[in-house]
Amino acid sequence: MVQNLPSSLSQLLLLFPGVCVAGYESLKKNEILHLLLPLRLSVKENQGLFPERDFKVRHGGFSDTSVFDLKHVLDTRLLVTSGLPGCHLHVWQVTEDSDVIQAVSTIAVQEEEGSLWPRVAIFSSMAPGVLHGARLRGLKVVDLETQKTTYSSGVGDSEELSSLQVLDADTFAFCCASGRLGLVDIRQKWAPSENAGPGPGATARRWCAEVGGRHRGPGPSIASLGSDGQLCLLDPRDLCHPVSSGRCPVSAPSPAPELLRVTWAPGLDDCLAISGFDGTVQVYDATSWDGTGGQVEPVFTHRGHIFLEDNQTDTAPLVTTHTWHPHKPRTLLSAASDASLHVWDWVDRRAAC
Amino acid sequence: MPEIRVTPLGAGQDVGRSCILVSIGGKNVMLDCGMHMGFNDDRRFPDFSYITRNGRLTDFLDCVIISHFHLDHCGALPYFSEMVGYDGPIYMTHPTQAICPILLEDYRKIAVDKKGEANFFTSQMIKDCMKKVVAVHLHQTVQVDDELEIKAYYAGHVLGAAMFQIKVGSESVVYTGDYNMTPDRHLGAAWIDKCRPNLLITESTYATTIRDSKRCRERDFLKKVHEAVERGGKVLIPVFALGRAQELCILLETFWERMNLKAPIYFSTGLTEKANHYYKLFITWTNQKIRKTFVQRNMFEFKHIKAFDRAFADNPGPMVIMPGYCVQGTVGHKILSGQRKLEMEGRQVLEVKMQVEYMSFSAHADAKGIMQLVGQAEPESVLLVHGEAKKMEFLKQKIEQEFRVSCYMPANGETVTLPTSPSIPVGISLGLLKREMAQGLLPDAKKPRLLHGTLIMKDSNFRLVSSEQALKELGLAEHQLRFTCRVHLHDPRKEQETAMRVYSHLKSVLKEHCVQHLPDGSVTVESILIQAAAHSEDPGTKVLLVSWTYQDEELGSHLTSLLKKGLPQAAS
Repeated sequence: MVQNLPSSLSQLLLLFPGVCVAGYESLKKNEILHLLLPLRLSVKENQGLFPERDFKVRHGGFSDTSVFDLKHVLDTRLLVTSGLPGCHLHVWQVTEDSDVIQAVSTIAVQEEEGSLWPRVAIFSSMAPGVLHGARLRGLKVVDLETQKTTYSSGVGDSEELSSLQVLDADTFAFCCASGRLGLVDIRQKWAPSENAGPGPGATARRWCAEVGGRHRGPGPSIASLGSDGQLCLLDPRDLCHPVSSGRCPVSAPSPAPELLRVTWAPGLDDCLAISGFDGTVQVYDATSWDGTGGQVEPVFTHRGHIFLEDNQTDTAPLVTTHTWHPHKPRTLLSAASDASLHVWDWVDRRAAC
Repeated sequence: MPEIRVTPLGAGQDVGRSCILVSIGGKNVMLDCGMHMGFNDDRRFPDFSYITRNGRLTDFLDCVIISHFHLDHCGALPYFSEMVGYDGPIYMTHPTQAICPILLEDYRKIAVDKKGEANFFTSQMIKDCMKKVVAVHLHQTVQVDDELEIKAYYAGHVLGAAMFQIKVGSESVVYTGDYNMTPDRHLGAAWIDKCRPNLLITESTYATTIRDSKRCRERDFLKKVHEAVERGGKVLIPVFALGRAQELCILLETFWERMNLKAPIYFSTGLTEKANHYYKLFITWTNQKIRKTFVQRNMFEFKHIKAFDRAFADNPGPMVIMPGYCVQGTVGHKILSGQRKLEMEGRQVLEVKMQVEYMSFSAHADAKGIMQLVGQAEPESVLLVHGEAKKMEFLKQKIEQEFRVSCYMPANGETVTLPTSPSIPVGISLGLLKREMAQGLLPDAKKPRLLHGTLIMKDSNFRLVSSEQALKELGLAEHQLRFTCRVHLHDPRKEQETAMRVYSHLKSVLKEHCVQHLPDGSVTVESILIQAAAHSEDPGTKVLLVSWTYQDEELGSHLTSLLKKGLPQAAS
């Protein structure tokens, strides 16, 4: 399925039964859309009898600022967005009786950072908390309702953050742009188990990371991706020594390191997807690597954004974000800078032999 | 207050039955007259009681306009004109006029002969209804009467579909019907000029969807057809010969050529022969590419696609067949609804063993398309019909914000009233204009100038002329009005001296006016005359008679109040 949406999309968030997308244009109003996936994709039987291939705009909202991050507060109808200018986070409500996504409140971010926007992750619980920060020193957890700060890193470290991820009710993971990774328990004062970042040999200017789901078995569950195409897999018990690493065949360095993204497949073991280098999304099977850092090959590359563009533009589109379908193991969604949104399946060619 | 009123007719919020009533500049127009395909009783017709309570339809409505031949836009027309009763003009494009009766007759046949419905319109009624049709060309301004004019614009969507502009004086409404903003293989995209109507009425059934890319859809279709053919199967594609058939033919032909496929493709004769005839007639309604190739061949002449002969029916091997249109109530329609067992004539039950794929190739404008059209036409307001208000709030805000226009979403039966401020052009006679300019004073944009003239309204024409001109044209005698006012002044001196004092005073105060002292002792200010006379009873009081014509009213009143204030003490 291919769509053409109003503006460049930076975020894809799966909000059952649909997907949320948001734009990041700096000069005009951006839209946050909650789209329902076409019926064809949800039915199991008689798929052929459903002609509906279009996405339905179930809800829409307007944001005066560009949106770079969009998170859903579980078990509520609230969304939190972050973008530029980075001095506020915005809280939105998706209502049942209207199709407009309403702005509800804003959360002030203490430091005004110029071109940095705060990363966001949500602690879902009876009293949801918003974890946010643009740098380590500004990392805070703010209670969504009372807006009181319930946790603060309290450090003076000015390292820039690139990823934030909540792992459970008490822990979160962070990844700095330099590649430094850490796991933090918010019940204690700041004392993350962390590494110092990749060694002097690393050529990547910027890193991002993702921690895989908790139900997985033993083995590395943290993936970090560098702007030079290096992909490292780490075990949370020993962040200083990657379990394995490989170099992805991408055009490095990435033209937009801020948009780098690495994700674990929720339904498949040891499967990863990366994007942010060009107009493709690449899927990797980590078990097939020898782990020594040499070139690794993707098991699948989605090139749809390059070949299916309807308008002939001079610049090749860049995939700005991607995400895995929570229920369909081999389905991914990806969005690109030309405002296209793709929902696609991939087939493991090796399995055919 | 002048206003435009719009009421979508029809019972219930359901989409699929287009019929909109518009009142503009004292004229009443009905836009489309569709049938709801989902109902089998009176609910399938629009609710005409809304207008019939105003008296006879023929007297109330100035015209009916039909946008295209789909039944949800013209299906109720014979019922409306022959059974409810309307004898006025029905406007539509030439292709619509040619194809409508075919569809209506087909529909009637199934409803009456196959389903046994009573109280349905007859074949004769369809013929009588079509006699009332006046066909129009694209971009042709059609005068419905002295004041009402309509113009059709290309809408894409299907052959002959049009968007209509309805104009009365300086007020206009544009109705889109169904349209498509992206061109396809045999039709162009909808287009309208920057006509800036007061109101743009657009269908919003698909307004909250974002369309899947055409290339993706086509690729999927071709993949399915190819797979079936490769494994030796036959593929049957029911499609209306004047609708999507052309599109799919071109698509398949190109694909077959590219993939070097040999399997034969057939279309059923009958309707396609007729279709060829209509495409030839209305070639200007297709797109550039078709028109270019058409010179060499007719619409269904392809390398790989041929007419079907029943004798081929049992030929082994892969076959791709494209038969005619399947309307509701037919076997085709039942299969698409998912039925796997069909009861045929003679109680025979057939099992559906084939794979059924439903692929929609219809062309409608989505949210993006609507925004594009609004951007092209630049209306003052937008009205969305056939959408549920709750589900359209976002689109409404988007339109309002992007174009700074008001956006309305009436429910069926609800009337939206739009106040308008029509501009009425008035021509000013050259003589009058010259005379005013001759006064010497330059026009000042910030200061309004008082101008005397006569407004003549004749034959919907407004002219502003000088009073003399008007009197001459109307053959009337002129009457002069003069006002006289008495101002009492305390002055024991003689009248001549009082007059002198008045003259000096006014001369110094009214510097921009012409103040004169006449030999007979009276003072004039422009054309105003002031005479001093002695009071009959009181020698110490002088009476100033101030008299002026109607034209000098302003100056006259000013003078009077000035004189009432008294004269300054003379420095003799």
